[in-house]
Amino acid sequence: MISEIKDTNFAEIIKSSSEPVVVDFWASWCGPCKMLAPVIDEISGEIGDKAKFFKLNVDENPVTSTQYKIASIPTVMVLKNGEVVDTLVGFRPKDAIKSVIEKHI
Amino acid sequence: MGDRYDIAIVGSGPAGLSAAINAKIRNKNIIIFGNKNLSSKVEKAPKVNNYLGFYEITGTELRDQFQKHINSMNIDITTERINTIYAMGEYFALAVNEKMYEAKAIILATGIEYTKPLKGEEEFLGRGVGYCATCDAPLYKGKVVTIIGYNREAEEEANYVSELAEKIFYVPMYKAEYNLKRGNIEILKDKPLEIQGDDRVRNVILKNETIATDGVFVLKDSVAPNQLVPGLLVENDHIKVDLNMSTNIKGCFAAGDCTGKPYQYMRAAGQGQVAALNAVSYLDSL
Repeated sequence: MISEIKDTNFAEIIKSSSEPVVVDFWASWCGPCKMLAPVIDEISGEIGDKAKFFKLNVDENPVTSTQYKIASIPTVMVLKNGEVVDTLVGFRPKDAIKSVIEKHI
Repeated sequence: MGDRYDIAIVGSGPAGLSAAINAKIRNKNIIIFGNKNLSSKVEKAPKVNNYLGFYEITGTELRDQFQKHINSMNIDITTERINTIYAMGEYFALAVNEKMYEAKAIILATGIEYTKPLKGEEEFLGRGVGYCATCDAPLYKGKVVTIIGYNREAEEEANYVSELAEKIFYVPMYKAEYNLKRGNIEILKDKPLEIQGDDRVRNVILKNETIATDGVFVLKDSVAPNQLVPGLLVENDHIKVDLNMSTNIKGCFAAGDCTGKPYQYMRAAGQGQVAALNAVSYLDSL
């Protein structure tokens, strides 16, 4: 299972992680987000401990969504040492997302 | 959610039909999406003289021959419009509004009809430009949104977004009585030229004026292949394929005009056949 990340713990989690952090920005009303969720789940299972996976509900966490200028969802962001190193906007096939994440491992 | 088909074919022109008959001959469980009249381009052709074996045939006659052929093989066209195809890894999910079909492999035979993107449209995609207003509307609460509408459905989306956004500029790309409800929608009968911004969208430049906006939704009738299948590689407005008609996505094949020029029936039918046979090999390898 991918854990939730929130406005309250976002900064702490991304700073304290030595592995790349993958954040899936989503909302319950977004169809493509629903399709992406199981894909991210699978990738997280395959990549294991080499990266940390989170999902962030944009409705409930407006501070982070605004800070990272989320204008369209789903958006998958890869962060390393607190910095954004890659952003994927919209649904992407599993292989495409996985290869982007693997670049940063 | 029904059964998972072996192959889903999107498009009922010569490429899609040729793919369908060849996949059917190989005994695969297929579904083909398209139109009742199969292809309006074929139907409208006055005379065809370069389809080997059919000398001096009219487009309508050729269409009727295609129809007889698929009837004889018990192939029915599913007349539903696919909105998005998601490559899930093991399979493809084909979304038709609220409904979903599943297939192990897909063949795209959508032809070429989509309009060219506006200047800046692709550059700002996801940074203020979107294609699904109802999807992203809540992100524009209290903001200014411009909707460039190519069809009547765009009006409904504009009405919905107007409930959340502070102000809507509606730029219609067609002539009609516009059914726009709320007072915060302003209709601009002007020609959009470019979408501009810095790290995100700031302006839409129209022929006669420039408007400041936080978001732009471009709502078209037929979508470009890489919007239909997110992640699909497109080069020079056509789907990139190799000689096996494989795209960059495993299990996704393409055939016909959507893969490039020349736009001809026999090329399309030939490619549809190659795509179907390679989709069959792909299925056998799973």
